Amino acid sequence: MLNQPARSLGVHIILIAYSALALGPILLVVMNSFKARNAIFGAPLAPPNATTFSLVGYAKVFKASLIGTYFANSLIVTLVSMFLVLLFGAMAAWALTEYKFRGSTALALFLSIGIMVPIRLGSVAILKMMRAAGLNDTLTALILVYVAQGLPMSIFILSEFVQQIPKDLRDAARCDGVPETRIFFEVIAPLLRPAIATVAVFTIVPIWNDLWFPLILTSSDSTHTITLGVQQFLGQYITDWNSVLAALSMAILPVVAIYVIFSRQLISGLTAGAVK
Amino acid sequence: MAGLHIDKINKSYGPARVLADIDLSIVDGEFVVLVGPSGCGKSTLLRMIAGLDAPTSGDIFIGNRLVNALAPAERKIAMVFQSYALYPHMDVRKNMTFGLKFTGVEPSERERRVAEAARMLRLEDLLGRYPRDLSGGQRQRVAIGRAIVREPDVFLFDEPLSNLDAALRVSTRVEIARLHRLLGATMVYVTHDQIEAMTLADRIVVMNQGQIEQVGKPLELYYTPANLFVAGFIGSPAMNFFPAEVESIEGDKVRAKGPTIARVTLPAGSLTRGSKLTIGVRPEHLTAGAPGDFSTTGAVELVERLGEASYAHVRRADDKLMVAEIRGRDTPAPGQTVTFSAPAEDVHVFDEAGRRL
Amino acid sequence: MRGSFAKRTMAEPLSQVVASMPRGRFLALMALFLGPAVAIYTLFSIYPLIATMALSTYTTDSSGAYQFVGLVNFVTLLTDAVWSKPFWNAAWNNLVFFAVHMLVQNPIGIALAGLLSLPGLKLKSLYRTVIFLPTMLSVVIVGFSWNLILSPLWGVAEGALKAVGLGSWFAPWLGLPSTALVTLALISVWQFVGIPMMLIYAALLNIPDELIDAARVDGLGHFRIFWHIKLPLVLPTIGLVSILTFVGNFNAFDLIYTVKGALAGPNFASDILGTFFYRTFFGFQLQLGNPTMGAAVATVMFFIILAGVCLYLFIVQRRLRRYAF
Ligand SMILES: Nc1ncnc2c1ncn2[C@@H]1O[C@H](COP(=O)(O)OP(=O)(O)OP(=O)(O)O)[C@@H](O)[C@H]1O
Ligand SMILES: [Mg+2]
Repeated sequence: MLNQPARSLGVHIILIAYSALALGPILLVVMNSFKARNAIFGAPLAPPNATTFSLVGYAKVFKASLIGTYFANSLIVTLVSMFLVLLFGAMAAWALTEYKFRGSTALALFLSIGIMVPIRLGSVAILKMMRAAGLNDTLTALILVYVAQGLPMSIFILSEFVQQIPKDLRDAARCDGVPETRIFFEVIAPLLRPAIATVAVFTIVPIWNDLWFPLILTSSDSTHTITLGVQQFLGQYITDWNSVLAALSMAILPVVAIYVIFSRQLISGLTAGAVK
Repeated sequence: MAGLHIDKINKSYGPARVLADIDLSIVDGEFVVLVGPSGCGKSTLLRMIAGLDAPTSGDIFIGNRLVNALAPAERKIAMVFQSYALYPHMDVRKNMTFGLKFTGVEPSERERRVAEAARMLRLEDLLGRYPRDLSGGQRQRVAIGRAIVREPDVFLFDEPLSNLDAALRVSTRVEIARLHRLLGATMVYVTHDQIEAMTLADRIVVMNQGQIEQVGKPLELYYTPANLFVAGFIGSPAMNFFPAEVESIEGDKVRAKGPTIARVTLPAGSLTRGSKLTIGVRPEHLTAGAPGDFSTTGAVELVERLGEASYAHVRRADDKLMVAEIRGRDTPAPGQTVTFSAPAEDVHVFDEAGRRL
Repeated sequence: MRGSFAKRTMAEPLSQVVASMPRGRFLALMALFLGPAVAIYTLFSIYPLIATMALSTYTTDSSGAYQFVGLVNFVTLLTDAVWSKPFWNAAWNNLVFFAVHMLVQNPIGIALAGLLSLPGLKLKSLYRTVIFLPTMLSVVIVGFSWNLILSPLWGVAEGALKAVGLGSWFAPWLGLPSTALVTLALISVWQFVGIPMMLIYAALLNIPDELIDAARVDGLGHFRIFWHIKLPLVLPTIGLVSILTFVGNFNAFDLIYTVKGALAGPNFASDILGTFFYRTFFGFQLQLGNPTMGAAVATVMFFIILAGVCLYLFIVQRRLRRYAF
C-alpha cells in the first residue's frame, strides 16, 4: 500500500487532470473569442495579449443578431417558469403530503408520470394546441410548456423537503390559530428556500438550455431564446470564427457567472441532506 | 380560566387501539402530569385535547364547553412542544405575536402581552433574536412565552424539558412551577421524568397501553399504588416484587410465605389459605440485619455507591435480583449473605390480579 | 425531536383541523393548492401525450383531412423499408449512444465520486464545482464548441495530440461515418458526467462514518472499502443514474441537431430517435413533414422509455432496495 502523501498526490493529479479536461474547452472558446482572426488560428492556446486582443466578433454578434432580445426572452421565460414551478410545485407538494384524502395517492402517482416521461414526446399535439389557442410563437407558450415539464420533478423534490420540516411547526401554528392557507405561505414556504437550488438544477437549468421547444414553438427572431438564437446565428455565420466564438462566449459567460456565484448552494442542494 | 373534562375518549389508528375509554376530570387551575411508558398514548391524549388530532369517539369539554368540533385556536389552549417548534424564520417577538394576528388581538394589546411575558420569562434582551441564535433553555422559554401571550385557559406541555441538560432541566422546572402559581391556569404536562412529575404535579395520571392505571396526588401514588403497574412505575429504583402464598390466618394477622420470604405479618383482609399474592417492597425501605415484619435473605452481587446512598443488588433464592438502598458508609461486601427486612407499613400486598389489597 | 418526527411520518389520518373543516371549505383549499399544478400539468403534458398517441392512429389524405387507420402507421414504420430502415438505424444508433454513456460516463462518474469522497481530501469543493460546470451549459454551446475544437480547420485537437506524440491518431472524427456517433456520445459524456458524479457522491456521503471506521478497524484499505462496502451500498443510486441516463439518451436531440443538423450525417450515421422524430414531424429538404407519422414515432419512443422505466421500477430497483438503509 502506498504511503499517505504519495497516494493523496496521485488523487490530486487525477482530479486536476479531469478538471483540466472539463474546463479546457470552455476556456479555449472564451479565450479565443477575444482574439483577432489570425491569432485564433496562429496560436489557439495562447491567451489574448495586447497585439492579438480584439472584440470584432462581439461587435459582429451585436450588429447581426438580436442577442439582447434573445437574452431577455430567455430571462423572462426562465424566471417566470421558475417562479410558477416553485410556487405551484410547493403548493401541490404541501397539499399532497399534509392532507391525505381519498385519491391523494393516485393523484401523486399521476403527477409523477412526468418525472420519467419526457413532455417532448407530446410535441405534435402541443404544437397543434398552441396554434389553435393562438399562442404559437409567443413566450407564453414556452412558459406553459416549461411549467408543465418542470412541475413533476419539482413536486417530487419539494415533497422530500416538506417532509423534513418538523410536524410540530404546523401543529404550533394551528394552536396559534393560523389559517391553513397562511400556514403554508407564512410558515412552510419560507422554510422551503433551501430546496430552490435543487429544483433549479433539475428543472430551471434545462429550461434555460432547451433548444427543442423554442425550435418548434417560436418562429420569429423576436421570440427566440438565447439557446435557439445562438444556434441559428452559429449556423448562419459558421465560417466567421470571430463571431462564432464571441456568440458562444456570450452564451457561456452569464451561465458560468451565475453558476460560480451560486455553486455552493447548487451543489449542497444536489447533495441535500448529506453535506459534510 | 377553566377546568377540563374528558369523557370516554377512544382513539384507534386502523386496528391499533391507542387510547381506550379514557375518563379524566381536571379542575380549574390544577397542574396534572401524565406519565407512562413510551408509546402508551400520552402525546396522543394531549394532541386530542389540543384539537390537533380527532378522537375516534368520546367528548372533550373545556370549561363546560364541548370542544369536539372546535379548531385548536378556538379551544383557548396553548401547547408547548418538546422540539420547541419555534418558527425558524421569525425573531422572538414575531414568534410570540404571530398567532395573535389571527385571533383578533389588537397590535397594542399584542405588544403589552409580549412585554409582560418577556418580563416574566426574562426574555427582554432576546426579543430581536432568531431561534438559531438562542440556547436550548432560551428557546424553551420563548416557546413557553408564545403560549403565555395567548392567555389560554389550558396549557398543554409535551415533554417540554427533555431536550435540556440536567441543570437547565431543574431550573426550568422551578420556573414552570412559579409560572403556574403566578398564572393560576390549568396545566396538563407530559413527562418521562419522575422527579418532574412528583415535584410539579397536583395530581399525577399514570397511563399504560392506552389506559389510565391510577390518578392521584404524588405521595398517594408513592405510598398507596393501586396496582402492580403503578407500584413498579413510580419510584426509582423500582419496587422489588416477591411472589408469595397465604400460609395461615390468625385473627387479623396473615402469614404469607414464598420462596424468598422468611416471615411476613399482614392485617387480614378477604384472604384465604393458599391465596396467591405479590409482595412489594421499595429498595429504600429495606434495612440490612434488623428484624422486621418482612424479611428476605440473599447474596450480595454488586454494590453501586452513589454517595448519599448505595444500591446493593442481591441475588434472591429464586435466582432473581432485588435492590436494596443502604444509607451510610457501611456497605456489605459482594458475596456476603445478608438478611433484609422491612416494617409492615412499608410492605405493599397485591392480589393475584395485581390489585392492591 | 427526531423520535416524535419519525413516528409521525407514518401514514397519518386526517387531523382534527381538517376533519372539523366544512367539506366545501376543504375542497376549496385543495383546489387552491392542487388546482394550478394539476391543471397546467394535465393540459400541457398528459393531454398532449395522449393526443399524440391518438394522432398516431390517423393519417392525412391529400385534402389534409384526418382519417382513422388503426395501427397502420406502426406497421408502416416497422415494415415498410422507406420508414423501417431509418427507424431501425436510429434505434440502433440510440442504443450505441446509450451504451457509450453507460460504459464511459457512469464509471467515470463513480470513480470521480469515489475520489472526491476520500476522507480529508483538500480542495474537494473546487474540483466538484469545476467538473460539474459543463453540465450547466446548453448542449448547443457544448456541441458547437467541441465541433470547433475537433475541426481540422482549427487544429486544436490535432495540435494537442501532436504535443503528446500521437499526432498520427488524429482524424476528423465528427465527419467520419465510423466515428461520428461515438464522438458525439463522448461529447455528451464529457458534458453530463457531473450528474452521476454528484448523485453518487451524495449517496457516498450518506453512508454512516461508523461503517467505514469499522471496516478500517478490520484492516481494509481505501480501495477495498470502496469496492466491497461503499459501492454495494450506493447501488440503488447507480440504478437511478442508469435510468436517468436511459431516459435522457432516448429523448436526446439537441446535441446531434446542433453538430450535425437534422440530417444527422454523415449519411445518417449519427441519427438517433430524437432527430428521426424531428425529421418525420417537420420534414427536411424535399420531404414534407408528416404529423401523424411523427406522432407514431413519438409513441414508439414513449413505449421504449416506458419499458425502460418499468424495467427499472419493477426489477432493478426492487432487487437493489434491500441494500438501502
Ligand atoms: N399517526 C399514527 N399512526 C399510527 N399509530 C400511531 C400514530 N401516532 C401514534 N401512534 C401510536 O400510538 C401510540 C401512542 O403514541 P404516543 O405518541 O401518544 O405515545 P407517547 O405516550 O407520547 O410516547 P412517548 O413517551 O414515546 O412520547 C404508539 O404506539 C404509536 O405508535
Ligand atoms: Mg410523546
